[in-house]
Amino acid sequence: MGSGETNRDGELLDLTASSRRGADEADVALLLEGTYPLVSGGVSSWVHQIIQALPEIQFALYFIGSSPDAYGKPKYDLPANVVHLEKHYLSTALEAGAPKSFRSCPAAYERSSQLHDYFREPKQGLPGDLIQAFFGELGRPTGLTRSNFLRSKESWDQIVNSYNRHCTDPSFVDYFWTIRSMHAPLFYLADLARSIHPCKAFHSISTGYAGFVGAMLRHLHSRPLILTEHGIYTKERKIDLFQAPWIRDAAEVFSDRLEDDIGYLRRLWIRFFEGLGRIIYDAADPIVSLFEANRERQITDGASRPRTQVIPNGVDVARFAALRAKRADPPPPIVGLIGRIVPIKDIQTFIRAMRMVCSRIPTAEGWIIGPAEENPEYAEECKDLVAQLGLENRVKFLGFRRPDEVLPQLALLCLTSISEGLPLVLLEGFAGGVPAVATNVGSCGQLIRGIDEADLALGEAGALVSIANPPETAAAIVGLLQDAQAWKSAQQAAISRVETFYTQGQMVQRYREIYRQAIDN
Amino acid sequence: MAGIGFELRRLLRDQSFLGLLRGYGYAGLITSGPWVFSIVGVLLIGILSVGQFNPRPEIALFLVSINYAIAISLIFTGSFQLLFTRYISDRLYEHRDDLVIPNLAGALTLIGASGGVVSGLILAFFFKESLVYKMLMVGIFVTLCEIWIVVVLVSGLRVPEKILASFFIGYALSVGGALALRPFGVNGLLAGFLFGQVVMLYLMVAVIIHKYPLAKLVQFNFLDRQKIYLSLSATGFLFNAGIWADKFIFWMNPETSSPVTGLFRSSIIYDLPISIAYLSIIPGMAVFLVRIETDFAEQYEAFYGAVRDGDTLNHIQKLKASMTYTIRQGVYEILKVQGMTVLLLLLAGSAILRFFGLSHLYLQLYQVDLVGVGVQVVMLATFNVFFYLDLRLIALLLSMLFVSANIALTLLTQSLGPMYYGYGFAVAVSFTSLVGLVILSRKLRSLETDTFMMAG
Repeated sequence: MGSGETNRDGELLDLTASSRRGADEADVALLLEGTYPLVSGGVSSWVHQIIQALPEIQFALYFIGSSPDAYGKPKYDLPANVVHLEKHYLSTALEAGAPKSFRSCPAAYERSSQLHDYFREPKQGLPGDLIQAFFGELGRPTGLTRSNFLRSKESWDQIVNSYNRHCTDPSFVDYFWTIRSMHAPLFYLADLARSIHPCKAFHSISTGYAGFVGAMLRHLHSRPLILTEHGIYTKERKIDLFQAPWIRDAAEVFSDRLEDDIGYLRRLWIRFFEGLGRIIYDAADPIVSLFEANRERQITDGASRPRTQVIPNGVDVARFAALRAKRADPPPPIVGLIGRIVPIKDIQTFIRAMRMVCSRIPTAEGWIIGPAEENPEYAEECKDLVAQLGLENRVKFLGFRRPDEVLPQLALLCLTSISEGLPLVLLEGFAGGVPAVATNVGSCGQLIRGIDEADLALGEAGALVSIANPPETAAAIVGLLQDAQAWKSAQQAAISRVETFYTQGQMVQRYREIYRQAIDN
Repeated sequence: MAGIGFELRRLLRDQSFLGLLRGYGYAGLITSGPWVFSIVGVLLIGILSVGQFNPRPEIALFLVSINYAIAISLIFTGSFQLLFTRYISDRLYEHRDDLVIPNLAGALTLIGASGGVVSGLILAFFFKESLVYKMLMVGIFVTLCEIWIVVVLVSGLRVPEKILASFFIGYALSVGGALALRPFGVNGLLAGFLFGQVVMLYLMVAVIIHKYPLAKLVQFNFLDRQKIYLSLSATGFLFNAGIWADKFIFWMNPETSSPVTGLFRSSIIYDLPISIAYLSIIPGMAVFLVRIETDFAEQYEAFYGAVRDGDTLNHIQKLKASMTYTIRQGVYEILKVQGMTVLLLLLAGSAILRFFGLSHLYLQLYQVDLVGVGVQVVMLATFNVFFYLDLRLIALLLSMLFVSANIALTLLTQSLGPMYYGYGFAVAVSFTSLVGLVILSRKLRSLETDTFMMAG
């Protein structure tokens, strides 16, 4: 596959010869964009956890990164059931080579144009024959090749046509290069997909470029594509595209309004990833999200409801259960906020709420547990606010601490974030016997109140409050701290919920079933 | 050359007739400059010396010697001139003004040394004239080579008066010096001519040194393979070879020429009519400078500026349309002005030939040459637009076409007989121009497509 060849290491890292049998031995190919095993983080830990927990399944890993120099050494020791690892980099896709000859393919452009019309209509399903033809001719010498896309008159005409019809940004040169640089990787990815050894099942850990390869593999080999989304790719991409950290937060708060303010070209990028998302949702089954709200979001973005399912993250309950006994009874009135000190966590609302809590319960304390390095300016503001409100002795900044260390000392967890996914800290707190007051964002409602009948019946594991509302937050905290009965029942609900629905064992079991079904299909 | 064009257009904006005349006059003289001046100068020396000499072949020897020196120096530097001009304009675009003088010095050193060695060897081995004659010829050859390099740079500066003044002083001294040194025979004429040319070269170099910073003495950065376009070298050589091909063929053919000295032969039938015809080039070149070098250059800037700075496609296409319109207008205007000139000179043909003391038999050749030379301005304009659009390959192919057409057609006319002399050149120039214009019009149609799709 041309230039891609040089970037595929072939070098199988620290894989030892005895246990590595090669791509043809793999049951499942994992498609990993900018994550495991070269990048550490929540998603990577999750992948590592799944691979380790399913030793009976052989995995081939396909890492897709931006450019080789953006990543260091692997961050994980690969488990024995990883039989193959390849690394591919998109940067090579943008290095346009000399123009090669190409065949004219007006029909392919016509189909591409039709497909784009579908992308502009978010509610419509994608027509199967168009998608099939698209994957069939993408990058094929007889179809739509990269040279053709980069050099041909047909390609130019289509770009000009779309610019004239849709673009509201005046700069043609920007539009032109945006279109080019967003589509050029698809040809590289198509070549990559054709080079991947067919497996019994493909599993992509995001939509985006990795998901696109997955969708193409699904069409090439008629083997199932499993999709797991930890976040929502387009939403994260949108944040990437803003690039400035302060916009990231503003974008979360004023998501709708900002949509109108951002430039056309940025919206184009977002729409591009939304389009990719729809192709991927169309190919993937099952489509897994971590919690209910994200599932709804997937459905809004084009996933078909029957294929979607929620598999929440699970925690090692036994490890945290041991902490429960270490807590004094009754617990001292200490409220902990575990998280990075950044605006998205809205630490200042927590501090203001603690002012009101301390007026009612003078012995109460608020602990802010988390690193401040990411946004020192904001951390400074928070400390100033603590001083202004005269809370120096009541609100403490502890820096990073291990949960095992702080959880036994807390009566309550508080989460004032304006945006969350599935916060692991709540699950860990629940397992450790700490109920929580949390804002109603992401999956927090699901974690505090429950989601279905059986879950709701377990009761509330604390309280839900609206965002940026110190009085409501304070009232909820005071309510739980002053009413021992309420606290006890919230703790009980928290423990039952995490033990019933959010254990690591359950999560692994569900993936085991998904893989089994896909492999046997 | 755009620099001077802008200054001239300022003059043209003085709407008075005198201002207009002055503007176009400058333009014509500067563009066709050294070439026309040298023809006038040499003819003048020749005419003024008639009857003064005994034996007369001395004048013929002088005229032919200078003619060869001009032709060969143009072809010799042709392979370097375009390449060097492009190198300099790229550096000026990067605001590296400090590189101009050291590299000019480097270029002059290189051209001077190689020109001196080549011409010296040829003269030493193939000529039986005196040592003084040979040394003077080497001096003239080297000086002319340097002038062709310097004149392009100097015309990029906005100082038309100074340029014209150096031309005028140079040729006045050449003519005056040659006449004054007549008593010393052909060597006297050559020495006088050389004196004026050297003064002219120094005057132009002085103008350049006055304009650009004097950072280092000599540099040879223009030889950096990464910063130059070798195809320009081939194009420059072929273009100049094309211009002179028919003349050389007439000089080499024993039926149309006679030996003068050493390798020099002259063609009495062919040389004078075409020299006189070249004088007609001034009005067309004036229009060329103002319309192509200036108006088009400006439109071109606007077009690429719009592409670079993120204008709307609509506006980019409008700018392209207006650029295309300017080229079309430029070519029409050249044809119109040059056509009028040619018409007048055709009507006055007999009188002009009489003035130069030529037989009526030359009339037809003179007429054909007039047309050919006129169309040459259009061809020059076409090449120029290709250089601006950076279509170097097309310029190269076109120069190949031109040189081969001129050779083939001139040889054909020689076998067809005297009735057809001159048609070879005229048809070659016209054919090349036509092909060039057709390609140009195609290229312009897809210009914005190519600009975007072929980049990166």
